[in-house]
Amino acid sequence: MADDAPLLEARDIVVAFGSFRAVDGASLAIRKGEIIGLIGPNGAGKSTFFNCLAGERQPASGSIMLRGRDVTRASPEDHALLGLARSWQVPAVFDDMSVHENVMVGAFLRHPHAAEAAAAADQVIDFTGLRPVARARSGSLGTPARKRLEIARALATEPEILLLDEALAGLTPTEVRAAIDLVRQIHARGITLVIVEHVMEVILSLAHRAVVFNQGKVIAQGAPRDVVQDPGVIEAYLGRSLSRKPPA
Amino acid sequence: MSAATIPTAPRAAGRWVLGVAALAALLAWPLLVEDEFIQRIGALVMLSALSASAWNLVGGYAGQISIGHVLFFGCGAYASLLGFTWFEWAPILGAPFGIATSLLLALIVGSPTLRLKGHYFSMATIALAELARIVVVNTPALGGAVGVSGPAMPRSVLDLSFISPLPYYYIFGSVLAVLLLFTWWMSRGRMGFYLRAIRGQERAARSLGVPAQRYKLFALLVSAAFTSLTGSLYAAMLGFVDPDSGLGILLSVKMVIAAALGGAGTLFGPLVGSAILVPLEEMTNAAFGGGGTGITYVVYGAIIVLISRFAPGGLAEIWTWLRARGTRRGG
Ligand SMILES: Nc1ncnc2c1ncn2[C@@H]1O[C@H](COP(=O)(O)OP(=O)(O)OP(=O)(O)O)[C@@H](O)[C@H]1O
Ligand SMILES: [Mg+2]
Repeated sequence: MADDAPLLEARDIVVAFGSFRAVDGASLAIRKGEIIGLIGPNGAGKSTFFNCLAGERQPASGSIMLRGRDVTRASPEDHALLGLARSWQVPAVFDDMSVHENVMVGAFLRHPHAAEAAAAADQVIDFTGLRPVARARSGSLGTPARKRLEIARALATEPEILLLDEALAGLTPTEVRAAIDLVRQIHARGITLVIVEHVMEVILSLAHRAVVFNQGKVIAQGAPRDVVQDPGVIEAYLGRSLSRKPPA
Repeated sequence: MSAATIPTAPRAAGRWVLGVAALAALLAWPLLVEDEFIQRIGALVMLSALSASAWNLVGGYAGQISIGHVLFFGCGAYASLLGFTWFEWAPILGAPFGIATSLLLALIVGSPTLRLKGHYFSMATIALAELARIVVVNTPALGGAVGVSGPAMPRSVLDLSFISPLPYYYIFGSVLAVLLLFTWWMSRGRMGFYLRAIRGQERAARSLGVPAQRYKLFALLVSAAFTSLTGSLYAAMLGFVDPDSGLGILLSVKMVIAAALGGAGTLFGPLVGSAILVPLEEMTNAAFGGGGTGITYVVYGAIIVLISRFAPGGLAEIWTWLRARGTRRGG
């Protein structure tokens, strides 16, 4: 793999539900070390596109390359093995397990022995600030802690690239700032990030590049500050102020 | 949060004492009770705990509800007694053949359906078990509707034919101990975590690199092998099997209920569930005669309703809840 080749590259992805094309020929190339902000109005197809990148959904057409390999039809577990991790828009933590056990499930990918997985999980728990709730049953957690656990569990797989689908939605401004901090620290560890987010503050302060989705297509991309002033982008949001979170 | 404040060392020591005491009681009680009826119930509890614990691997830990496990039980039972009928083998020598057949059938039923979501696996297990029963009923070489018998008189110890129920109690108990040791070992390692993750959120588990299909299939194979061995042991004890006692759907349901009552996906749940269900069933049968089976169905129905309505985690859930209350009061 050449040094300048993208870490993850999607070409002309199409996903159709019946006759409706949720993703309609979207392409995106992500280089190592980038933080990409994926934005767009509700129903633009961000999560669907995201699921293709993670191997959760297979596109009707188009191709996806991860670290120089064609993973268009590869399973989610193969994506994880290749160094791609993700969070879920609707938190999908293992309710019956403790926070530490949840993180261990991720850690087992690179540490087959329980003692090593437990130690690796401990490090991730400290890193993500989940120590106070490490032994709590994850089903008893509130939304902010669940979202954080999603990130922790994904990090425990020791990914090269992390996809976060609205990992910061539903947080208070203080929690959002703490989460932005966490994302910066994750990036400082050399992990490439793709974040889907409605909160513009997050995109503006984190992303190197913003990619705007609308009706299944990438309608603009570039520096976040330029992109939010793009007339086409403002039009896509139907004149809504980009600084406010659209209704869920 | 409260869990973090409980001192763990004295609790662990207490657990050891409790465990050793429980084991001693399990080993000693049948010797202290003279009554053969009760000893026999003890042996049947162990047998039920064995099959329910085997079911628990795939139904409890992995959360893939099989309602056709009697298929594997029947393979074991029939292999044992057909081995005797055809070749005059000691029944237990047929066990490996029962296990081999069970593994093959588990692959056939599991490979396509464990890939799918929802209840396809459950339905496929019922269908295959019923199919096997109908095939056996209509195949004279397999004993047909009449069934097959073991040796009328024990020829050697290998026949595992004893008058007293006590040897059976200890044989079943030893195999159960092996199975529970395996389950305990498995539950603490990667496989245990992966199975619980699959049960909780299969999609999320796969995104963390869990090869869900492979793990579910492996759990099913181990489960089928132990269920088959249970069937062989049952056949050795009873010396007789027919389509109803070896392949009847009620037996599948009993495995599910015993595990669910005690706590599916817990180590001792199936044993606890069996220790309640089997005496209950034997007592109603003794009180109402053979016609008591009708009452058994009613009791099972009631138990299913009660568990699913009030405590989906079975008695283990109630136990955890009570302990949480206790520590909160104490602390
Ligand atoms: N499984 C599905 N079946 C049918 N339609 C679907 C399915 N999943 C998504 N859609 C539709 O596809 C479109 C894109 O959905 P998607 O979840 O990708 O949007 P999104 O950009 O992530 O939106 P949001 O910001 O609300 O999360 C929506 O119109 C949605 O209703
Ligand atoms: Mg979405």
